[in-house]
Amino acid sequence: MEYLWEGIQRAIVLIISLDSEVCRTVLLSLRISLTATLLASLVGVPVGFLISAHEFTFKRPVITLFNTLLSIPTVVVGLFLYSLLSKRGPLGPLDLLFTPPVMVIGQFILAIPIITALTISAIQMVDPRVKWTAMTLGAGPVRTALTVLSEARFALTGAVIAGFGRVIAEVGTAMMVGGNIKGYTRVMTTAIALETSKGEFAFALSLGFILLMVALSVNILFHYFQGKRG
Amino acid sequence: MASLLELRDITKSYNNTQVLAITHLVIKQGAVYGIMGPNGAGKSTLLSILAFLISPTSGNLQWEGMDVNTLNKDVLRRKVTLIHQNPYLFDATVRKNIVYGLKGRRIPKKKRDETLHECLELVGLSGFEERRARELSGGEIQRVAIARALALDPQVLLLDEPIANVDWHGIEQLETILKDLNEHAQITIIVATHDVNQVHRLSDEVIYLFDGRIAAKPPLENLFKGRIVKKDKDLFLFDTGKLQVALPRERDSVSRIAIPPEDIIVSHKPISTSARNSFAGAIAQVTDEGDLVSLIVDIGEKLRVRITKRSFQEMHLNLGSPVYVTFKSSSIETF
Repeated sequence: MEYLWEGIQRAIVLIISLDSEVCRTVLLSLRISLTATLLASLVGVPVGFLISAHEFTFKRPVITLFNTLLSIPTVVVGLFLYSLLSKRGPLGPLDLLFTPPVMVIGQFILAIPIITALTISAIQMVDPRVKWTAMTLGAGPVRTALTVLSEARFALTGAVIAGFGRVIAEVGTAMMVGGNIKGYTRVMTTAIALETSKGEFAFALSLGFILLMVALSVNILFHYFQGKRG
Repeated sequence: MASLLELRDITKSYNNTQVLAITHLVIKQGAVYGIMGPNGAGKSTLLSILAFLISPTSGNLQWEGMDVNTLNKDVLRRKVTLIHQNPYLFDATVRKNIVYGLKGRRIPKKKRDETLHECLELVGLSGFEERRARELSGGEIQRVAIARALALDPQVLLLDEPIANVDWHGIEQLETILKDLNEHAQITIIVATHDVNQVHRLSDEVIYLFDGRIAAKPPLENLFKGRIVKKDKDLFLFDTGKLQVALPRERDSVSRIAIPPEDIIVSHKPISTSARNSFAGAIAQVTDEGDLVSLIVDIGEKLRVRITKRSFQEMHLNLGSPVYVTFKSSSIETF
């Protein structure tokens, strides 16, 4: 059990001393996952809203599809991107494999179903009177839609947080298309996997501890802004 | 008075079930209309069509002599505002709720604030600007919703049963506000209500709705469709699908019954009388009608009951109170 305690101590030292290696890894993790979450929200929230707010022939199957994609394994997304981007793949000439942008793409693919599916259910939960009220107060279609989204803001923030939670914690895609290159594509989760396999439990634990704190702080931050807007 | 809205052969159907069929109706500029009718008669549907929130399935709707299909609905909606029976306030402050429509109309901030204060004062809620909508009581929500609609200075104000669950004082206030608006601002007002007295106090003209159609006479209350399911020696049992009611042996075939709300006794405990019909239920709605109080008691079917205000107060009745309702089979009208 000693190494647990050692890991926490080491984590504190690493954080206080602002260890450059750790800082770089943490910042890269945040940059990639936040970018992916932001992009996925920009697509997922409007798509979820459109699916939820309109009646069309294949509505049920489409919703089921997004719900199914929620459980898509991260390594499958990694594998899919890898096969597209490897030297022999159709997008091989782009030379994107093992770069941060392709990690963003991978996490974007992972976050889209969560954010879309949770947006669909968030919009479905909105009181139908919101739409009628906005309309009778003279709001046009765009403002009515924005009002419905605003009334669902708590659930929507939850959707975005859930998306972020999935991508910051995933290791499969980051490992397969990022390649865990030190100082370039090494993020917290891949670093933890590597350090553990090297037998560096204490260092791995300290990174795990930091990952936990980062995830918690981002959540707290989200909730803070949510409170402010409300 | 000039014709503002004109409906010709308007129908509205949901899933092939027709809920509204209006042959001809003219709404004149500056008049006050009352719409009366039992639950499900089509009052709310008619109001939603008049508010341009839903489109009729067929027929011709005109605004100032122009077919509304040729006009921009977004523009029309800014001239007509509907206050829902159970209004929704956005999850924000009272201020944001009230200025919502004004912002959409690009009214400058200074004017918005003036209107906000004026309208809150009008409904007796001065100082409520920064209160959060979620913290308001039912009566306050209704008043904010009214203020929010009045702030827009609409040409037509539609109210869907605005007095359910509001106390008598609130109703008096509301009626004064509506009369004032109509007289001074020439606003056309259309109120759907159950309250016979209110409808006559307020309206220049009463529209009776029954089964989605305009009727010439006041419709019957507590009207239920169904059939006789059991014939005993001295009684027939009439089944509405949700409720079984004992009828006197008068007619062999009955397809509708009406139970006069004044002939129903309300009690806390089951009472033993000669009356054949007694049901347990809970009060689902309370409407103050001056000397009388009109209750909706949910006994499977929603039954309207009218009792004196005095008995209402003496019995300490409230929304949700469990009660028994009792009525004689001979008081039931059959068709």
